[in-house]
Amino acid sequence: MEGEDTGRRKFIRVATIGVSAACGIFPLASGIPALLDPVKKSAGEQGVEPWSKVTPLASLPEDGSPAKFEVVQEKVVDAWTTYKDIPVGAVYLTRQNNDVVAFNLKCPHLGCAIDYRKQSNDYFCPCHNSSFGLDGSVTTENSPSPRSMDTMETKVEDGFVWIRFQHFRPNVPEKIPLS
Amino acid sequence: MKFVFDWLDDRSGYRNLLHEVLYEKVPGGARWRYVWGSCLTFAFFTQVVTGTLLWMFYSPSAQTAWESVYFLQYQVWGGWFLRGVHHYMAQAMIVLLVLHLMQVVIDGAYRAPRELNFWFGALMMGVTLALSLTGYLLPWDQKGYWATAVATNLMAEVPWIGPALQKIVVGGVEYGHHTLTRFFALHAGVLPAMLVGLVVVHIYLFRKHGIHVKEPRPKKDSYFWPDQILKDAIACLAVLLAVVGLTLYFRGAPLGPPADPANEFPARPEWYFLFLFQLLKYVPAFWGAVIIPAFLVLWIFLQPFIGISRPGHQINIGFWWTLIAGSVALTLLAFAEDRANLRHSAALEEANWQAERVLSIVQDQGIPPAGAVTLLRSDHQNRARNLFASHCSSCHRFNGHDGRGYPVDDPQTAPELAGFASVDWVSKLLTHKHYISEEYFGGTAFKDGTMAKKVLAKYTPEETALLPRIATLLSDMAELPYQKPLEEDEREELLALFYNDDLDFQDGLACIDCHDIDSEGDGYAPDLTGYGSNEWTVAFIKNPEDERFYGDENDRMPCYGRDAKLTDEEIQILSDWIRSKPAK
Repeated sequence: MEGEDTGRRKFIRVATIGVSAACGIFPLASGIPALLDPVKKSAGEQGVEPWSKVTPLASLPEDGSPAKFEVVQEKVVDAWTTYKDIPVGAVYLTRQNNDVVAFNLKCPHLGCAIDYRKQSNDYFCPCHNSSFGLDGSVTTENSPSPRSMDTMETKVEDGFVWIRFQHFRPNVPEKIPLS
Repeated sequence: MKFVFDWLDDRSGYRNLLHEVLYEKVPGGARWRYVWGSCLTFAFFTQVVTGTLLWMFYSPSAQTAWESVYFLQYQVWGGWFLRGVHHYMAQAMIVLLVLHLMQVVIDGAYRAPRELNFWFGALMMGVTLALSLTGYLLPWDQKGYWATAVATNLMAEVPWIGPALQKIVVGGVEYGHHTLTRFFALHAGVLPAMLVGLVVVHIYLFRKHGIHVKEPRPKKDSYFWPDQILKDAIACLAVLLAVVGLTLYFRGAPLGPPADPANEFPARPEWYFLFLFQLLKYVPAFWGAVIIPAFLVLWIFLQPFIGISRPGHQINIGFWWTLIAGSVALTLLAFAEDRANLRHSAALEEANWQAERVLSIVQDQGIPPAGAVTLLRSDHQNRARNLFASHCSSCHRFNGHDGRGYPVDDPQTAPELAGFASVDWVSKLLTHKHYISEEYFGGTAFKDGTMAKKVLAKYTPEETALLPRIATLLSDMAELPYQKPLEEDEREELLALFYNDDLDFQDGLACIDCHDIDSEGDGYAPDLTGYGSNEWTVAFIKNPEDERFYGDENDRMPCYGRDAKLTDEEIQILSDWIRSKPAK
């Protein structure tokens, strides 16, 4: 009789904890998929970046010194808003022979904006003092930046410079596109 | 492990606290009638957690509120479910509030020494209703926008401070960004914080006086843990399942078309405020906004004192039952009146159409920075329906309504235009019975014109049988997007019939005797070259009095283009729309 009673008590206790826990967890659980949505979405999208028209080739200095341009994309979707023709970032463009090289303005270290220093004719990040040569390579020893400045694909068509603009994962030696 | 708990207990004394919480005595044993308070706490907890999660997706401004809710609802993984749980739990909370209140009233748990706690409970009820009201606006859809405007207009009824109070809550004179930022701050910050504070006091006072036991006691005393907690938890689970059931059944909370002050919508509050809405049809706003709430507050304050005596307690119970019965009756009345009102159901249909339309546009084009409402405003289909309703529907009909689905009070005095120029439409036009009916020219001077009296009425059955073929020819010239064009030889054959080459029509006039198709003669009746085509329709709407159409025989059709009643763009939009769909 007593054993039966303890069995019943035990059942009540387990049932109570079980049902309470289910109720307690439910509100958070109902939002977990929504919370994790950004991770799920980025994993699915691996498209090629679209070409963006940047500037007439003639606007780049002949001597190969860099000039800064903003990159305007035709269509940018931010969550619910679809923007038309808005700037998505900036690049340094330099002439190299008949080609144009593009460096992302963002430092590969932690994403600060890199300056071009005319006096020393090099690139310099004012946040943590990474410095880069005109070819984008790291110039100082013990530079905080783990890699050269990030280049992107460019082409010249009908006298205009086009670019596939991208951002890359900061602070790793390899250049990995963000998606 | 034990060491960690011991260490923690040494520093916090949590075991004592837990013991205190769990081993509250329940005189007379655990009972189902005590579960409502716990259910409400659970419901509020759910709202805080799901509300915080919703916060991560919501953006309060006139250009982003609807848009961010749309995104959550349709683009975020499981977003509709999260929003649905929050929406339906809010409704469950109202039901639970009533149950809790009635249990307290019937059991007499509001009487000494629990007066204070009763008042706190009433205060919490007020805060919960305010949460419902503020939450209703946040999606910034038509329903929330128009209904909440009524509520904030009522605020202005408060003596002296009313208009200022309204401005403070609305953030200005008109609804806009600051209405949303303020409502959001109230809904997600001020009101929940108040409610948390009140819950703490409420539970503290409840614990201080213990459970009010309803006599007779069914069983021997037990403890909160585990017997009562099990009953509470099962009740919470039932609430949860009901909410999940509603969420799944309705596929989440509704989202109407984006708020637009220029686009009318029949304002209705959420169902639990419908009784107030209905009441305002009978009493002045001042009563609804001030006198009735003030009376309720006074009653709630006096109730513990009224209830000291047994008859007083019965009066209290009677008061609340009357209030509930009255509210239910008013609510049912509100539903019944709306259901009987054709314009109201048409308005709801129209809102549904707009909601679906804006979703399909968003899918095609995305939402511009100016917000989704601009999509609907510039949408040609939506504009055409509204243009038809304002400029055409006082004489014409579209599927029997005004183009948007609203019934029209004026009698129909010009042709039904749904399926205009289609084979079916022209076939019907060419039968005498329909030609002179209200559906076509029955309301016009043409009812007694040549076409009716000397043509259609005169034809023999053999000749009448040829008319559907003429209809096929005419309709082919309209080049309607939903009809297949004729083969060339078929067309030639039908044209021969139109020109009466084989003298098929002899008893009345033949078509070509009055109407032209590709011929130089100036027929007395409208030229049918390109009949129903885009060019023909636009030209006709612009100037039906042109020689090409009715000339001076025009009955009452306004010359929309010639007299600048509509712009060329508007006429084009109308023509495209009229020609785009078969009749229903």
